[in-house]
Amino acid sequence: MTMPPTPIRVVIVDDHAIFRSGLKADLAQDILVLAEAATVEDAIAAVNATLPDVVLLDVHLPGGRGQGGREVIAGCTAQLATTKFLALSVSDSAEDVVSVIRAGARGYVTKSISGAEISDAVRRVAGGDAVFSPRLAGFVLDAFGTAEVAVEDELDKLSARELEVMRLIARGYSYKEVAKALFISIKTVETHVSAVLRKLQLSSRHELTRWAADRRLL
Amino acid sequence: MSAKMYRSQARVIAGVAGGLAEHLGIKVGLVRAILVGASFFYGAGLVFYAWLWLLVPLAGEDKVSGGKLLDTDGNPRLKLFRPAPGAPAVSVPAVPRPKLSLGFKEVLIGGGLLIAAVVLMSQQLGLNLNLGTLIPLFAIAIGAVLAWMQLDNTRRVGLLSAAKMDTPSALWRLGGGIALVIVGVIVIVTGSGSWTLVWASVVASLAVLAGVGLVLAPWGLKFWRDFQGERAGRIREMERAEIAAHLHDSVLQTLALIQKSANSPSDVTRLARAQERELREWIYQDGTHSTGALVERVKAVCAEVEDLYGQAVEVVTVGDAELTERSHALVQAVREAVLNGARHGATTVSVYVEAGPAGVDVFVKDRGPGFDVSAVPADRLGVRESVVGRMQRNGGSAEIISSADGTEVRLHLPSETTATEETK
Repeated sequence: MTMPPTPIRVVIVDDHAIFRSGLKADLAQDILVLAEAATVEDAIAAVNATLPDVVLLDVHLPGGRGQGGREVIAGCTAQLATTKFLALSVSDSAEDVVSVIRAGARGYVTKSISGAEISDAVRRVAGGDAVFSPRLAGFVLDAFGTAEVAVEDELDKLSARELEVMRLIARGYSYKEVAKALFISIKTVETHVSAVLRKLQLSSRHELTRWAADRRLL
Repeated sequence: MSAKMYRSQARVIAGVAGGLAEHLGIKVGLVRAILVGASFFYGAGLVFYAWLWLLVPLAGEDKVSGGKLLDTDGNPRLKLFRPAPGAPAVSVPAVPRPKLSLGFKEVLIGGGLLIAAVVLMSQQLGLNLNLGTLIPLFAIAIGAVLAWMQLDNTRRVGLLSAAKMDTPSALWRLGGGIALVIVGVIVIVTGSGSWTLVWASVVASLAVLAGVGLVLAPWGLKFWRDFQGERAGRIREMERAEIAAHLHDSVLQTLALIQKSANSPSDVTRLARAQERELREWIYQDGTHSTGALVERVKAVCAEVEDLYGQAVEVVTVGDAELTERSHALVQAVREAVLNGARHGATTVSVYVEAGPAGVDVFVKDRGPGFDVSAVPADRLGVRESVVGRMQRNGGSAEIISSADGTEVRLHLPSETTATEETK
C-alpha cells in the first residue's frame, strides 16, 4: 500500500483514557491524532470542529441518549461524505457490530488487534474502503445466507464472488491473501468488500430483518 | 404440593380455591364444593374464602425477589449493562390468563341466587332478616369484590400500572364497584328513606368525595411516584449486587492469580484470555440464538487449546449442525489441527466453521512458519492419523496447505445424505 502524502487525521473516541493513550502510542507515524473525546456530546463536537479523515469510534459510550457510537454517527451526518467512521469495540456481539455498521460505520475491528493492524485499517477506511474483521464476515454470511445468487447487483443476496471473499475473510485471510487465493487484485477485493458493506447497510431483505429482529437490533 | 401457598393465576374469582387445591394436592372441584357447602353454615365458607383472599398472595406476585428482573423498558436486566443495542422492542409479556371455564356473569348470578336461597331459608327457619339491610350489604360486598379483583389484576403486572387502567373493561369494573359501594352505603345510612333525601345525600357525598379526591390526588400521585422510584432502585440494587457477586467470583479471583504469577508472561496471558472468554460469554450470551451442539463443541475444544497454550484462538461460525458420531470425529480433528496451529504456529489461530445442508466445512489457519507437508515422516501420527486419517474414516476429507505465510487445515464432512449418495 502506498503511503499517502499527507498524514491521515483522526479523532479517537473512547471513554477509557488508558485505552486512548495506548492507541495513540500504537498508531503509525503517518496517522495524526487531532482530538480525543470520551462522551457522545464531546465526540460530536470534536468531529464537527476538526473534520478529521477518520474517526476511531468506540461502540459503547456514555452520554447522549445512551445509544453510544451510533448516536455519534447520527450526529455527524453532515460530515459523513468526508469523514469515515471505524468502529472499535471490545464487544463482538452481533447486535453491536451490525447496528453500528448499519448506522454508517465503514468498518469494525475489535480492540484486541495490534497497532499495525489498526493503522492499516485506518488507512484502508480513509481510502474509502471497508474493513471487515473475520467475525463481521461471519455475521454477514450468517445474515445473508451462504447460498449464492447469479445477479450481481441484488441488494438482498451476496454474489458468488462476494461470498467467496467473505468466506476467506471469515477464515482469517488478509485482503492480500484473499487476492492471492482468488487470483484477483487487492483493489478488486476491496471493491467486493465495499459492495458487501453497502448491502449490509441498505438491504431490507426479509431474512436480514428477521435475523436482526431475533437479536433485537431493530 | 408447594411449601408456601399461593392463589392460583387460573382463577374464577380470586384464585383461592385453585391455590388451596394445589397446596393441599386435591382437586379444585372438591375444594370448591367444600367451600360452597361450608357457606351454608353461617357463611363459614365465605368468610374463610375472604380471609384467604386477603392474606394469601397471588402466585407470581412476589417473584420479583428471585425471578427474572425486568427494567423499565421490559428488557431483561443484562440489557442495562450494555447501552448500545437497538431500541427496546420487547414489551412485557402479558401473563396469559386462561379462559375461564365459568364466565364472570354466571358466577355473579350463581352467587346472587345462592345468597337469595340462604336468605329465604333462614327466613323460613325463623330468623327475621331485614331485606332493607341485606340488599345494600350485598351491593357493598359485590362492589368491594369488583374493586379488589381489579387490584389483583393490576398487581400482577406490578401494581396498578398506568397503562392497565386504560383498558375500558378494567375502568368499568373499578367504576362499577365504587358506584355499587357508594349506593349501598348511602341506602344504609339514609335507612331507605324517601328518594329526595337519597338524592340529596348522593349529591352531598359525591361533592365531599370530589373534594377529598382533589386534595388527595397530588399526594397519591407523589406517593405512587415514590413507590415506583423505590421499586426501580431496589431492582437496580439487586442487579448491582448480582453483577458484583459475579465479578468477585470470576474477575477478582483471576486478577489475584495474575498478580501471583506476574513473572510468568505465558501464565498471565492464559489467565487473562480465559477470563476474557468467560466474561464475554456472561455479558454477551445470545439467548435467542440457539446454538446447536456442533458449534458449541468446537468452541469448547478451542477454548481448551487456548487454555493449554495461552495462544488466542478466534472462532467464527456460520450456521450449526447436530452433533453426531461423525461430527464428533470432526471435532476431534479440529482439536488436533488447532493444537498443532497453537503449538507450531505460535500465533493467533483462526477457526472458521460453516455448517450447511451439504455438510460441514472447518478451516483452521495459523500464521506460523509453516512446514512441508510431504516431508512429515510417516511415523509422525499427529497430522496424518488424527486429522487426515480420522476425517477419511468418517467419510470426510482433509487438506493441509502450508507455506511460509502460515498453515491452513481444511476439513470437510459431507452431511449424512450427501455422503451416502456419493458412495453409490
